[in-house]
Amino acid sequence: MNPLSQVGGKPVKTIIATAVASALLAACATMPLEPDGAAQARAKLTQLQSDPKLANRAPVAIKEADRAVRTAEQAESDKDLGAYRVYLADRKVDTAKAQAETAFAEDQRSTLIAQRDRARLDARTREADAARGKVAAARADSAEEKAGADQARSEADAARDAAADSAQQSADLRAQSVELQRQIDVLHAKPTDRGLVLTLGDVLFTSGQADLKAGASSHLDELVAFLDKYPDRTVAIEGYTDSVGSEDYNQGLSQRRADSVKSYLTGQGIDATRLSASGKGESDPVAGNDSAAGRQQNRRVEVIISDPTAAVR
Amino acid sequence: MNATSQLHPKPRVRGTVGLMGALALGACASMPPPTSNLQAAHQAISGAEQAEAGRYAPGELSEARAKLAAADTAVSAQRMTLAARLAEESQVEAELATSKSAQVKAQAVNDEMKRSTSVLIDEMQRNSGEKR
Repeated sequence: MNPLSQVGGKPVKTIIATAVASALLAACATMPLEPDGAAQARAKLTQLQSDPKLANRAPVAIKEADRAVRTAEQAESDKDLGAYRVYLADRKVDTAKAQAETAFAEDQRSTLIAQRDRARLDARTREADAARGKVAAARADSAEEKAGADQARSEADAARDAAADSAQQSADLRAQSVELQRQIDVLHAKPTDRGLVLTLGDVLFTSGQADLKAGASSHLDELVAFLDKYPDRTVAIEGYTDSVGSEDYNQGLSQRRADSVKSYLTGQGIDATRLSASGKGESDPVAGNDSAAGRQQNRRVEVIISDPTAAVR
Repeated sequence: MNATSQLHPKPRVRGTVGLMGALALGACASMPPPTSNLQAAHQAISGAEQAEAGRYAPGELSEARAKLAAADTAVSAQRMTLAARLAEESQVEAELATSKSAQVKAQAVNDEMKRSTSVLIDEMQRNSGEKR
């Protein structure tokens, strides 16, 4: 206060000076000590400075704001100047606050980045786990499908094999029956109700004799071969004669001729248990005995081959 | 004005004082424009524009421009002291616009990060909720 410093020296004058000073002070007190708005700027600055998360984050700007606030707080009679100073102080405090907030946000960012990265990692881990699970499930599914397919395939294979087998069997059967038929044809055998009947004519025997002629063996060998090939078949050998001569004689002759055929067959290795021989005499003529040709037909040995399967017709 | 306040007016020299005052006012009227303040305000405004203050702190930016325009008007009116103050007010306003823009952008980045993180966490919880 310059006016006071100019007051000097003598006691009387001092009293007067004091009174004057008081008057001046009173005059000063009626004047605004600081411009409008300076207190608000100060309050904002104080709040900024006491905020722990902001106070240390924009030191230069806060210092500058503090200086501006202090300038604004100076008593000023020039209202325009005061308002100007308050304006600067207010904006500088706001600027300092914005810069501190920015710095705080930037400081937080590393934490946020870490949080986001962790969340991303978690999400990817879970996605990968889920994908792995799906792959495993798909693999299991396809394994099941494969197993099913394998089973179906093996079933199909089995069915095909069975079909092939049965085809083979029927082919075999067909071949067998063809072969049998061929054999039968070779034998000149004739299918009858009693079985295959092979008729051996009397040309194989000397007249009135039971012994087989030498050339008869070739004809009987075909029968031997057939019986070798079909060992389950049994043979009934029946001898017949014409009506010439006594019945007893004819009976005996027919029996001997049947036995003669049987012994030839056993001699060729056919089991005797498969063979039966019987003499039928003149009992069952196939032709009339009143002609030479008829009598010749009646003189015969019939070989009846059993037909156990009845497959051959 | 310090020059005038230092004068001790006496009856004899009152005319002289009046003359000197007139001279002083004349000196004021012929003061050069506050070029450096105006330049500083211009620079601060273009800085704010680069900081996208038009988007993030439009109020502050337009006030800074208005203050600069007023300063130019004051220069034209030969009111250089007023022009200097207006230019400085424009400058601090533009600097505030720049700082606010930076703050808004920094905060937006952080908010976006928080949002995407919480979306990730939500999705994970929803997915795991569906699964388990």
